[in-house]
Amino acid sequence: MEAIVIKNLTKKYGSFTAVDKLDLTIGKGELFGLLGVNGAGKTTTIKMLSCLTKPTDGDAVLLGNSIREKPAEVKKIISISTQETAVAPNLTVRENLEFIAQIYGISDPSAAADKVIADFSLQEKENARTKTLSGGWQRKVSIAMALITNPQILFLDEPTLGLDVLARRELWGVIEKLKTKMTIILTTHYLEEAEALCDRIAIMTQGKLRAMGTAEELKQLAGKDNFEDAFVEIAERAGKGEL
Amino acid sequence: MRITAFAKRNIKELLRDPLSYVFCLGFPVMMLLLMTVINKSIPPQANMTVFRIDNLCAGITVFGLTFLMLFAAMLTSKDRTSSFLTRLYASPMTAVDFIAGYYLPLLILAVVQAVITFGVSLVIAAIEGVSLSIGGILLAIVTLIPSMVMFIGFGLFFGCKFSDKAAPGLCSAIISAAAILGGIWMDIDAMGGTLAKICKVLPFYHSVNAARLAVDGNIGEAGTSMLIVLAYTVAVAVLSVVAFRHNMNKDN
Repeated sequence: MEAIVIKNLTKKYGSFTAVDKLDLTIGKGELFGLLGVNGAGKTTTIKMLSCLTKPTDGDAVLLGNSIREKPAEVKKIISISTQETAVAPNLTVRENLEFIAQIYGISDPSAAADKVIADFSLQEKENARTKTLSGGWQRKVSIAMALITNPQILFLDEPTLGLDVLARRELWGVIEKLKTKMTIILTTHYLEEAEALCDRIAIMTQGKLRAMGTAEELKQLAGKDNFEDAFVEIAERAGKGEL
Repeated sequence: MRITAFAKRNIKELLRDPLSYVFCLGFPVMMLLLMTVINKSIPPQANMTVFRIDNLCAGITVFGLTFLMLFAAMLTSKDRTSSFLTRLYASPMTAVDFIAGYYLPLLILAVVQAVITFGVSLVIAAIEGVSLSIGGILLAIVTLIPSMVMFIGFGLFFGCKFSDKAAPGLCSAIISAAAILGGIWMDIDAMGGTLAKICKVLPFYHSVNAARLAVDGNIGEAGTSMLIVLAYTVAVAVLSVVAFRHNMNKDN
C-alpha cells in the first residue's frame, strides 16, 4: 500500500533548481530516509510534501490527497518536526503538547499529553518551561509535539542535528519505536543514522534523486563495504554525470 | 477552538515574560508618578498644565500602548525565526486563526493596561485634589480601542516583515515618534508651526487628543481625531493581515 506517490516534483527559486523532477513512491508504515549533503534538496522536498512550499512543477499524493489540490486535507494527516526546535519557549512541556493537541482538534488534549509524556519519558520535565531545557530535551519535546496528533505521515527533518552522541542515540530509540506505526520520512546527513534506522534510503545530490534502496543495496550498487564509502562513491559518480 | 488555543498560548508567552510587566505596566505607572512630581515643581505662574494628572493620564496610557506594539513585534518575529510558526503553518490552522489568535490576547492586555494606568491616575488625582471623572475615563478607554488595534497592527506588521533583532528597533522608532509627536509631553496646539502640522497628520496626536477630550467630558469634540485614528487603524490592520498572509503563502 502506497502512502506517498511523488511525480515529477520540482522546485525552482529563480534560475536555481532546488528539487529536480523527483519521482518516488513510499509505502505505508515505511521509515524512508532522504540522504544528501547540504543543499541536496532534502528539506525543500519535505517542505513541499508538508505544504509549506508550493512546487514549481509536478505533484505528490499523500494517502490520496494531492498537495496541490487538497493541502488542507494533507495538513490533517501529517505532522512535521523541523530542523530547528519549534517549541513555545515560555510554555511548559505539557502546555506545549496540549496546545498542539487542541489545534488539531483532539477531543481530550490532557489525556493525549499524558500518553505522549509517558511514551517519551518526559515525566520529570513535564512542568518545566521548554526554554529551560537542554537542546536534547527540547528536540525530544519537539518530536513529541509532532506525534501527539497521531499523524499518519511524519516528517522528521534532521531530527538529531546538533545533538551529542548520547542524546542522538536516545532519539534513535524513540524513532525505532515508531517504526511501522506510521509512515516516516527522515532527512539526515548523518550516514550512520540513515543506515541504522531506515527501511529504504534515497540519496539526493543537486536536487536530483541519484540512487535508492536499502543500505545493503546501496553498498552493492557502489561496490563498497561500508555505507559511508558507498555514499561518497554514489555522490562522486553523480557529480561526474554517471548516475 | 484553534483561535482560543493559540490566543491562550500567546497570552501565556506574554504574561510569563517579566519584561512585559516592566514595560507595559511598570514604565507607564513610573512615568505617571515622575511627571506628577515634576508638575509639583512647576510654579503655578507658568500656567503649564500638560503634566497635570487630568491631562497626563490619557497621554501616558497611549505611551503604554506603544510598548504593546513592541511585544507584539517580538512575539511574532520570534515565532517566525524559531520555526514555531513553520510547525503551525503545516498544521490545520488557517490565516484567520493566526491573526485572531495574535490580536485578541494583545487587545485584552491593552485594555487591562489602560484600566490600570487610568486607575493609578485616579488615585493620584484623589491625592492631588484634581477632579477626574470615572465616566470620562471609561469613555477614554473606549476611544482608545482603535489606537490599541493600530499599535498591535504595527507590531504584527514589523514582526512579520523583520527579524527578531530588527523589529524591536523599528518599534522603538514608533515609540519615540508617538511620545514626541503625540503631544504626551508638550502642548502641540500651543506650539503651532510645521511641527504641529506634522503631528496632526500622524495618528499619535489624535489618539491622545481623543482620549484627553473624553477624560475632560468633551467627547463631542473628538470626532475628527477619532476618524483620523480610525483611518490609520484600518490601514495598519489591513497591512498587518496582508503581511501575515503573505508570510503564510510564501516559500517557508
